[in-house]
Amino acid sequence: MALSPDEIRSQVSASYGARVRPTLEASSDLIPLIDASASCCSAESSCCGSDAADVDITNIARLYADTDITDLPATVTDVAFGCGNPTAIAALQPGEVVLDLGSGGGIDCFLAAKMVGPDGRVYGVDMTPEMVALARKNAATVGATGVEFRLGEIEHLPIDSGSVDVIISNCVINLSPDKPQVFREAFRVLRPGGRLQVSDIVWTQPVPAGLEADMDQWAACIAGAIEERDYLAQIAAAGFTDVTSVTSEYSGARGLASADIVAFKP
Amino acid sequence: MEILVCPMCKGDLELTVKVEAEGEIMEGTLVCKDCRERYPIEDGIPNMLPPDQRD
Repeated sequence: MALSPDEIRSQVSASYGARVRPTLEASSDLIPLIDASASCCSAESSCCGSDAADVDITNIARLYADTDITDLPATVTDVAFGCGNPTAIAALQPGEVVLDLGSGGGIDCFLAAKMVGPDGRVYGVDMTPEMVALARKNAATVGATGVEFRLGEIEHLPIDSGSVDVIISNCVINLSPDKPQVFREAFRVLRPGGRLQVSDIVWTQPVPAGLEADMDQWAACIAGAIEERDYLAQIAAAGFTDVTSVTSEYSGARGLASADIVAFKP
Repeated sequence: MEILVCPMCKGDLELTVKVEAEGEIMEGTLVCKDCRERYPIEDGIPNMLPPDQRD
């Protein structure tokens, strides 16, 4: 039986909330920022490599404090998280206003804030209350400035039109039951000339039948993933131009790939 | 945050502060000037989820 969009949203949110709660409630400062269990990168999922697990926030904090902006792309690559969005972060320029769709524990936002510097600004939106709480806690630990987190839905962004230079997102849009609406909202909040630069999981072949009704497979970033060509077509349909995508297939998961996508608002 | 708007109608928001700590708004309300929808701020986090998506 097909699930309704609301059922998908609430179950995905509950699933991520439950996974991140033990981390959030831990009194220790040793918060795993990229705990494999707190992202779509679960052991049985092919969303990312096994090296994505358990990057300790104290290490991130140390890197963060020591890292010069020119070194950051390498730092981002080193931490190897999610589907991987290092190119999007490396491309950020000082002074840019950045919005992260599905900001999770906040690492992309912290790194982005370092890139855009004191004249820039970074906003993270996530629909799971526990994730936003964790991101705020992590921001304090890391000492990140110029970053704000909001509890919100990426299909209904609480962000003013034409106010953002760059939208980043790492392995999140696949979780949305209404991706065309996500891309329309992304288009709305970007200023003319702004760019969408996201990483996500896509199918390089037709999606196997029956997957979309499996909630565990939704939360694992598999059931919600769509074919790459449909993904790009939905971005173009929202008004974006110069839509490009580079995919790398996962070994051992035939038909699933990580896509680095760039598109521009004319 | 000056670019924050109502997620539903994209109207401007009016802030009411109940509790402030170290320059941060911990408890309060954001009300849309256009559609009058109310968004709570709890534990320092503005809840900008659509009303039907709140717990």
